Amino acid sequence: MEREFVCIICPNGCRIKVEYEGTNIKNIKGDECPKGKDYVKNEITNPLRVFTGSVLVEKGNFSLVSVKTPSPIPKKYLKKIGEITRRIKVEAPVEIGQVVAFNLLNENIDLIATRKIKKKNSLSF
Amino acid sequence: MQEKEVIIIGGGAAGLAAAVACHQKGIEDILIIERGDYLGGILNQCIHDGFGLEKFNTSLTGPEYAQRYIDKVANRKIPFLLNSMVVGLTPQKEVVVVNSQGLQHYRARVIILAMGCRERTRGAINIPGARPSGIYTAGVAQELINLRNYMVGEKIVVLGSGDIGLIMARRLTLEGAEVIMVAEKLPYSSGLPRNINQCLYDFDIPLLLSHTVVDIKGNGRLSEVTIAQLGKRGGIIPGSKRKITCDTLLLSVGLIPENELSREAGIVLDNITGGPQVDERGQTSIPGIFSCGNVLQVHDIVDNVSLEAEYIAEGVVEYLKGKLTKEREIKVELGNGLRYVVPQTLIRVKDVIFSFRVNQPGRKKILLFEDGRRLIKKKSLRRVNPAEMVRVKLSSSELEGIKTLKVKLV
Repeated sequence: MEREFVCIICPNGCRIKVEYEGTNIKNIKGDECPKGKDYVKNEITNPLRVFTGSVLVEKGNFSLVSVKTPSPIPKKYLKKIGEITRRIKVEAPVEIGQVVAFNLLNENIDLIATRKIKKKNSLSF
Repeated sequence: MQEKEVIIIGGGAAGLAAAVACHQKGIEDILIIERGDYLGGILNQCIHDGFGLEKFNTSLTGPEYAQRYIDKVANRKIPFLLNSMVVGLTPQKEVVVVNSQGLQHYRARVIILAMGCRERTRGAINIPGARPSGIYTAGVAQELINLRNYMVGEKIVVLGSGDIGLIMARRLTLEGAEVIMVAEKLPYSSGLPRNINQCLYDFDIPLLLSHTVVDIKGNGRLSEVTIAQLGKRGGIIPGSKRKITCDTLLLSVGLIPENELSREAGIVLDNITGGPQVDERGQTSIPGIFSCGNVLQVHDIVDNVSLEAEYIAEGVVEYLKGKLTKEREIKVELGNGLRYVVPQTLIRVKDVIFSFRVNQPGRKKILLFEDGRRLIKKKSLRRVNPAEMVRVKLSSSELEGIKTLKVKLV
């Protein structure tokens, strides 16, 4: 089978032409860095994406804190994780990298905060 | 009147990077003036990842990228004002600021314009029809959903395929909304190819090229839009109109550099970029006023905003030492195939990074730099796309002795 992929790893967006059978790559063209080949390998076996979203914060200077999965997760779980984030609440203060949920869907999927949230009306920098 | 060495207007990606770079070069008397209530600007609402691949060699979300610069500003103890709006700028480099303390007057030896850009609205593209609620620009919807915990709607049509529109199509889907389609008036997308893939195709959201919204209905709340297909000359193809039931329309139809202050100060602007005309040091038509980031030209990638902002610091230092002299003034002429070039003028023989946008998508193109009939540099481009800025560096040896400079795409 032949297919063209647009690599999503960086903004270069390489068009990668791949000839493959099942999960076996026979010929690959247009990948300008090794990340491209890895991306295509994943795409034809188990496509992976980083999930990003937000969860509610209580007592914070903002009502939401942005979150992400620390590593890419199978694409098929994105919508389910999105649903779950709508039910999660954390309390301020929140630091970048703080784990706000772990082992979601029993698939070892964690969520970490990507923004610093201070306590409401706190004077700290 | 308070005196400052360098005042930076805007505390977003460009302003923060410019502040850190100036401080690194030994300038200590800096003030960043930010109108929002936090530093980092629009990065804070860009909670998706993919930032920082070039600058930090890792994929960060917007808030994480901003925090890296906020930490640098804090570590260096660079002063900044929040909730402070610059309402006046003069050619003498006087700045009028309004905040909770009232009006304040500053004068600086150098001003760095880093005000960013804003979104084009429905008014700018003249969509006819009713004026119900439920029509948002993509960036406003992004702020409401990502920072203010307000969901904008349930059944959504996105008009325009700019990157923010694509990102929002994914975001809304993950928040449980139904994104019916993204319509783009041009025959090609104005967003990055990787975003079309990971934001639309991953979620089976159709992208309709050469389509636009021609009517809006709704009493109170938006209830229906009419889309139509456009022909080669941009006219509506008869019989192609379709009614779509929806409660929300998102507009992602372009960004405009926010140059009201620049205009007030009398800075010469470029009609195409919407930003100031600058030399290779990022200096505008008024000596000592510099410009970088999205207020200069709309970027696709924040890493390039930071790089551009850091790059101008050298010129700022030279200016403060009285060494930013005009050895000559060469206007960079624009040839076929290119929409714009930045910088627009060259004043000395130094390495220069040029930024371009092409007029239309193409394959196997060559970018030519010429001085009269003499070819200075040639660069092959495998693919070109108006959505992707092209950046090319010319060295001082390549530019040595030129009398004119013309750039074209063949």
